[in-house]
Amino acid sequence: MIFNARNLPSNDNVNPYAFCVDVAGEMFIQKGKMIAYYGALRFESLSAGPYGALVKESFNSPLYANDFVVVTGQGRLILGDRGNNIASYDLKEGNLTVRGANVLGFEPSLVCQESTVPGYLTLLGTGKFLASSNGAVHFLEPPVRVDEDALLGWADMPSPSYRYDYGYMRGMFGMVRSMIGGRSSGEEKQLDFTGQGTVLIQSSEMGLVGSTALDDVLARTGSLQQNELQQLLSHINQRLQQS
Amino acid sequence: MPEYTLVNSKMLSVTLRNEEVFAKRGAMIAYTGRVDFAPSSSGSEGLGGMAMRSVTGERMTLMSARGTGEVLYAFYGRHVTMVHLSGETFYAESESLLAYDGRLRSGTQFLGSSGVGGLIRGAATGSGLFTTTLTGSGELAIISDGDAIALDVTPDRPVFVDPQAYIGHRGQLRSDLVTDVGWKTFVGQSSGESYQLKFTGGGTVYIQAAERGGNR
Repeated sequence: MIFNARNLPSNDNVNPYAFCVDVAGEMFIQKGKMIAYYGALRFESLSAGPYGALVKESFNSPLYANDFVVVTGQGRLILGDRGNNIASYDLKEGNLTVRGANVLGFEPSLVCQESTVPGYLTLLGTGKFLASSNGAVHFLEPPVRVDEDALLGWADMPSPSYRYDYGYMRGMFGMVRSMIGGRSSGEEKQLDFTGQGTVLIQSSEMGLVGSTALDDVLARTGSLQQNELQQLLSHINQRLQQS
Repeated sequence: MPEYTLVNSKMLSVTLRNEEVFAKRGAMIAYTGRVDFAPSSSGSEGLGGMAMRSVTGERMTLMSARGTGEVLYAFYGRHVTMVHLSGETFYAESESLLAYDGRLRSGTQFLGSSGVGGLIRGAATGSGLFTTTLTGSGELAIISDGDAIALDVTPDRPVFVDPQAYIGHRGQLRSDLVTDVGWKTFVGQSSGESYQLKFTGGGTVYIQAAERGGNR
């Protein structure tokens, strides 16, 4: 099967890992996820002049402003995210909160705001958005408890709270756990969802394959001098000791 | 001639009848019959090609499998795509090449010949300024992270591709590296995304849904 500008799927998956968007006007996409396109498209930073009004209306997240660009024009855009699964979702007067790194793109008819849960973005309104996940997405209905590592997001429902396994609690009473400093697994600490709505989980406890931020940092270490590398090393060591 | 069959989307079976196939080193996962394996640094390109390769540094580590039997190939869960050539040339990133046989003549192509764009393209993909070519009539298997996507290019419909997602192309295509004006705002904060490969002419471009050099 050879695709061309006419027979590419319209706003649909090319395969589980690639998605074709018909761009007519404007759309927000995560930086670096374009893998190919036909037509006349431009990719602009959110800070670029003509998009002040657009950003004011639809993009209300300073934390993620550098991770997204505006694509404009007419054309067929193929998005891919390091071999992770991609799916599209239609919101109708709804709200959906998704892990920020997994939001691949959304129409400006939606409003994007930072969730009070760190690392998550909330999309409000009516429109289409794209999200990537490590493995296919599965939908659950509350009440349900979910391993945070497998959580992709939740729709039309209150934010979750943490639920700890009793054994873990007991360990905390003895302060043993904090001394060991072991990382908790999904079996002893979950996110508890209640109320009405839908919970989205991915078929893997691993986050997205690869990390754009890490790739970015690694790619740039090549130009560093010896003493700069030393500074970077001590910075990393400091960070590791803190956590 | 060797018979290529896809066992599933990620596994290739090659049936040999006293024949030879060249495949990516480390990709053989099982075989039946009497088959001998030997490292081959040259594939089917002869001495001249070998010399060219050693000079250019375009590394293609191949294993030759010769004999009679069935050999199964797979590579880290990557998807396998068969490409049929009839007297054409296929240009491939050497790491994306899984298997081919003596019906295709392999060589290296200096990308600089397509102008400065070609030169930078090598730099942008990080895989050198030379690419592997396969010419002739026959089959070859390529691997990709996720299914390979074939995109048609016609004179009135150029295609723009992320250099990191490019795995190969065929036909009379010219590749130019273009920088979107808008992307210039990111210089210094994005990696290779500010470059796009523009393919013009007539042919097919193959891409994968993942950037090269990922964590798997």
